[in-house]
Amino acid sequence: MRWLLFLGFFVSLQAQNKQILYGFKEVPQQILLNPGAQIDYKGYIGVPLLSHIHFNAGVTGFSAFDIFADDGRDFNQKIQDVVYDMDSKDFFGFNQQLDLFSAGFRFKSSSEKTFFISFGLYQESDVFFYFPKDYAVLALEGNYNNLNRRFNLGDLSVSAEVSSVFHVGINKKINSKWTVGLRGKIYSSIVQASSTENYGSFTTVEGTSNFLTHRIDLDMKLQTSGLSFATDSTATNQVDVLKSRLLLGGNLGVGIDVGFTHEPSPEWTIDASLQDLGFINYSKDVQNYEVNGYLEYEGIQSVFPPIASDQTAQEYWDEVNDDFEDLFKVDSTTTAYIKWRPLKLNTSVSYNFGKKNNKECNCLDKSDPTFQNRVGAHLFALKRPNHLQWALSAFYYRKLFKGLQLKTTYTVDTYSSKNVGLGMSAALGPVQFYIMADNLLDYQNVAKSQSVSLQLGFNYIFKNNED
Amino acid sequence: MISFSCVKDTDFDQTDSLVLTPIVEVNLVEIQEPADTFLDDFGVEVLNISDLIVFDVFSSDFVDENLLKAELVYEVTNTLNKAFEFKMEFYDLSKTLQHTISFNIENSPTNKPLVSEHTEVFDTSSLEALKQSSTLDITITLMSSPTGSVLTTASKGMIALKSKGVFYLQLSE
Repeated sequence: MRWLLFLGFFVSLQAQNKQILYGFKEVPQQILLNPGAQIDYKGYIGVPLLSHIHFNAGVTGFSAFDIFADDGRDFNQKIQDVVYDMDSKDFFGFNQQLDLFSAGFRFKSSSEKTFFISFGLYQESDVFFYFPKDYAVLALEGNYNNLNRRFNLGDLSVSAEVSSVFHVGINKKINSKWTVGLRGKIYSSIVQASSTENYGSFTTVEGTSNFLTHRIDLDMKLQTSGLSFATDSTATNQVDVLKSRLLLGGNLGVGIDVGFTHEPSPEWTIDASLQDLGFINYSKDVQNYEVNGYLEYEGIQSVFPPIASDQTAQEYWDEVNDDFEDLFKVDSTTTAYIKWRPLKLNTSVSYNFGKKNNKECNCLDKSDPTFQNRVGAHLFALKRPNHLQWALSAFYYRKLFKGLQLKTTYTVDTYSSKNVGLGMSAALGPVQFYIMADNLLDYQNVAKSQSVSLQLGFNYIFKNNED
Repeated sequence: MISFSCVKDTDFDQTDSLVLTPIVEVNLVEIQEPADTFLDDFGVEVLNISDLIVFDVFSSDFVDENLLKAELVYEVTNTLNKAFEFKMEFYDLSKTLQHTISFNIENSPTNKPLVSEHTEVFDTSSLEALKQSSTLDITITLMSSPTGSVLTTASKGMIALKSKGVFYLQLSE
């Protein structure tokens, strides 16, 4: 219970939205968001384990402060207020990524055309669940005073996964106006559990031969894979199992990212990408659980026999008992299953301005890397089990020096309208460092925040000769 | 991690006091019996009819730990011209009587539905008695009344009983 509420700390409405990193040219990891992004260097090597650390958590509908504020109000009253405020579209999300290694280099083909190849392996954890509103109301109120209310058991929707992703991408600048890219991915799921296809209800209505009729309709499913290692091996075996799964020994899947950057004029840039168009086939170490059934319960019928000796109400009760046991009987299977990856869309339009005031030097420079400012709008969308999650950002990018760039974002989505983010990329010689965080306005008291996201990393950059 | 330093005015020990108090209502026993039920093989009135249920829900650990108060609600509709006494006895595992609910049901001289209600509240000592109970013994005893008749196979009407439990739970960590 506590860890769950604790999550209220680190919330992210747009878990997985990396609005600051997207389009941040100096940071190599931006090409994981758009394989068709612009690349202005010859190559890079990410510092192993340190090139991309991403952490993002969020909750919608409430903040930790709503519940834990030290304001003397009754704790249970605060919980109730929050439960009634939230609905079943509110969610908790947690996402973490860690680059194990990553690198990219520009190559020249025989026809003197250049292309950029990048590759790497990262580990990712993702936990996501919707607020099970009707379960919470049932737990708070019970079915008393809720005659005819249909408690939707489908409100339960949970998924959690730890996986690793090996990827190779190719990026090609076709001409001065178009850059396109494609990234292939192999997913290796280490552990996965999800219960996202639940249906059913619990309803109490007025009865005919008794006060009430209770209707229970269940069609619920929990799918898991990769969990058995935790129970039936020794600690060293467990580490070995995890290692092998991290290195493509888990449940495997494939996917692609596609993207482009278009510059109709030096000032204007339009770009877009689709990430994780793919799936994982869960076939190893699978354990599924299902409950299925329908029951209408009106009570125990007492059938007094003409000569009162047989105990017939007992038989009736035994039957009711059996019915309930049947209803809640868990069927377990090991059937393989397929899950689509959460598909992500990023797209932005931006305007570059403010060239450095040095006309003598600039007249020969066609590609013009010296715009100092960039403003634009960015849209992010993510397909979640029950809804489309989106976020819209306005951003301003500023090159302060050659080795120091800043980007600030203002993000709006269904749940928050004042998310300010700030990112910085700094280079000292070939070593580049970046750090980005959002919801900065809430840092004065993080307990009031509903979302926090943080990314940082170190890279070694091989710059262009002209730099 | 940055965040730990700037969490203000909060008290995270409050979860210790999380208490849920749902109220759950569940059907219990239902009875529909015509005059025949109260006659023996020779068509003569018996003294009473009874039924017994081994019902281990009240004595379960869950109920013991979380039940704060209970109400058993009965509604009887009598269209027989016969008065009755309804009795529900609660026995524990050692067959010791823990609690008795009983109430009278008036006869309906013209066979019109005659509705009577009874609510039994279990709290404090009676609640403890309920939590000990694992067997319910239901007895319906025939009573004579000034306007009542003697039941025969030709007697019209029936006696119908509805019942439900309203359980006040208190769930805490």
